[in-house]
Amino acid sequence: MHKLWLIIKREYITRVKTKGFVIGTLIVPLVGIGFTLFIVYLVGHQSSKAMRISIVDNGGGIAPVVASDLQFRQSNGKPQFTVEQLIERPTDANAVQKDLRAKINAGTLDGYLVIPADLSQSVELHTKNSGNFSLLGPVSSAVNEGVVEARLNARGVHVENVRDLVKGPDLQVIKVTKEGESVEKGQTIGIAIALVILLYMSLLMYGIITMRSVLEEKTTRTMEVLISAVTPSQLLAGKILGVAGVAVTQFLIWGATIVLLGSYGVAMAAMGGAGSLLSGIHVPASLMICAVIYFFCGYFLYASMFAAVGAACSSEQDAQQLQWIAMAPLVFTMLIYSVVLNDSSSRLSVILSEVPFFGPVLMPLRVSLQTPPLWQIALSIAILLLSIAIVIFGSAKIYRVGILMYGKRPTLPELVRWLRYS
Amino acid sequence: MDALSLENVTKTYDSITAVNAVNLRVRQGAVLGLLGPNGAGKTTTIRMVMNILVPDEGSIRVLDKPVSDESRNSIGYLPEERGLYPRMKVRALIIFLAALHGLTEQEADKRAREWLARFDLSDWSEKKIVDLSKGMQQKVQFITAVIHKPPLVILDEPFSGLDPVNAATIKDVMLEMRDQGSTVILSTHRMEQVEKMCDSICLINHGQNVLDGDLRAIKHSYGKNTAHIEFTGSDAFLNHPSIAAINRFGSGVEAKLKPGADPQELLRAAVQSGVEISRFELLEPSLNDIFIEKTTHA
Repeated sequence: MHKLWLIIKREYITRVKTKGFVIGTLIVPLVGIGFTLFIVYLVGHQSSKAMRISIVDNGGGIAPVVASDLQFRQSNGKPQFTVEQLIERPTDANAVQKDLRAKINAGTLDGYLVIPADLSQSVELHTKNSGNFSLLGPVSSAVNEGVVEARLNARGVHVENVRDLVKGPDLQVIKVTKEGESVEKGQTIGIAIALVILLYMSLLMYGIITMRSVLEEKTTRTMEVLISAVTPSQLLAGKILGVAGVAVTQFLIWGATIVLLGSYGVAMAAMGGAGSLLSGIHVPASLMICAVIYFFCGYFLYASMFAAVGAACSSEQDAQQLQWIAMAPLVFTMLIYSVVLNDSSSRLSVILSEVPFFGPVLMPLRVSLQTPPLWQIALSIAILLLSIAIVIFGSAKIYRVGILMYGKRPTLPELVRWLRYS
Repeated sequence: MDALSLENVTKTYDSITAVNAVNLRVRQGAVLGLLGPNGAGKTTTIRMVMNILVPDEGSIRVLDKPVSDESRNSIGYLPEERGLYPRMKVRALIIFLAALHGLTEQEADKRAREWLARFDLSDWSEKKIVDLSKGMQQKVQFITAVIHKPPLVILDEPFSGLDPVNAATIKDVMLEMRDQGSTVILSTHRMEQVEKMCDSICLINHGQNVLDGDLRAIKHSYGKNTAHIEFTGSDAFLNHPSIAAINRFGSGVEAKLKPGADPQELLRAAVQSGVEISRFELLEPSLNDIFIEKTTHA
């Protein structure tokens, strides 16, 4: 037991001290925070500046309605547009437009709208920043309202406030869960996909770390000294647990970062600032716990397979050719997760999420979409634990044979034969 | 009590029998030379003693106990496949491996400093293994094999790649350990070292031990059957019927005599042929000769 502890400790300390770990652990959240703050800054900065717009109404009668509608629009509590000039029925349309273009190029105007006399022709928005799609919605609905009011007026219907008349109700999607109901703003899908990617990347990354760690002991020929002091099983267990410790450390640091970011978002929301965007991302604690449990189940399953691959190979190149054995089920999971995403309670989704090699990614995905029956979670964890026991047993055998074998890369049938060695 | 005993030990890989019914007893306090050509089964035998491999048949006892994971703590092992974690610091690595052999970290640290000083490596103790020369790495590896004062030390080619000064230090440590009651098993291809250091030998060929016992007794059993002759003049007398084989050196020849031949007859024939003889000495065969005879005969 003491020896196992020494191996775990060495593995952990060596991994945590590497540049890769420091970069992966500290830089990733820093970049995440930096990126988020940057977006928050951009959103806040953008909203402070209203678009200066002029309206040329060749037919006349529509521009005032459009102008009042545009001035009414707000984004983040600030007006989105300021109307500089209304030009109705210009005598020389071309001269007016030329003049407006000059103003835009001089930077005193951001854009102008041309409403044709014949409304079957299209309305034109002339602006330097033609890529700003966030302006199109408001402008087009303002023009619509102006046109509708003009047509109603023409038929003798006088309406004071067309905006209230033409505004239809919003369609809001409400997600029903056992805990109650919450307004769906697309965050469920966002969290689900983020979760799948996170689990996939972490399982793959820590699996490969384990494999390379085994391989390092082989290629540097440290292995024989080690197994003259400890058993191969102790070495394998120590390695897998040591790397698991590294994962725990990394997750704790990241978790703390998320909590800090979340509280920053809540604080900003309380102050009415732009950071309120962040507070909309709310990950339930139950989902996080579930993801962590499934990550570690998946880690023990995959890391022991990767360790066996590392033990079977004598060089980095060999390992790159043989690692598909351990990677294939994980990559396959990424090809089929959309089945679960589309309908998480279909029979196919249930079956796929119970398969031990897919479960570590697919079951947390199901939990994030719609809480599955408890027995399905319990069953999948039971299947996973049993599979872990079987895979570790087999991997330990391959490991025991492989660690002292140098030379040719074994083929798959040879690996199967190693399983039968005593 | 024997430091090590192998009884009828057999190990087969797939269809190849690497070790075939080997018997061996090593008494405590001896220095044993484990000899044999490449692929004879030496490394497999050592790995079975280390409990890295399990024999198919037979039994192995270390210090009168069957091999187990515990028995490995009483063995110091310098494997042929050498290597250490390249990115670990020298002293930290020695402490780690010593702790795996059951030392407390304080004791391991104290001894590591002593050993590093003895091997002139004190200035390197905070350097990474990868920064050391090959010879230095070898010394570090030797330290890890002996730091826990094991009653049984197994050294596979301990001198390869070492300069004469360091080789002498390692030789001194080996003899020191023997004087303190430890048993040393030395596996090497350098016969002159075995002749200088070992009390007994075990020669393995094709997985079987073909010769084992006290080195002096073995050599004595061959008798003084080799004549070392230095002379000037024609070497025609070397066709004499009593000579079985000739080994030529710069200064003279070593003539191996046929069994039962009379060396005095050869000396007489040489004198009669008219050469000027400056040296004529009867010797026991060298271990080198015995090795070649035993491994090429079969």
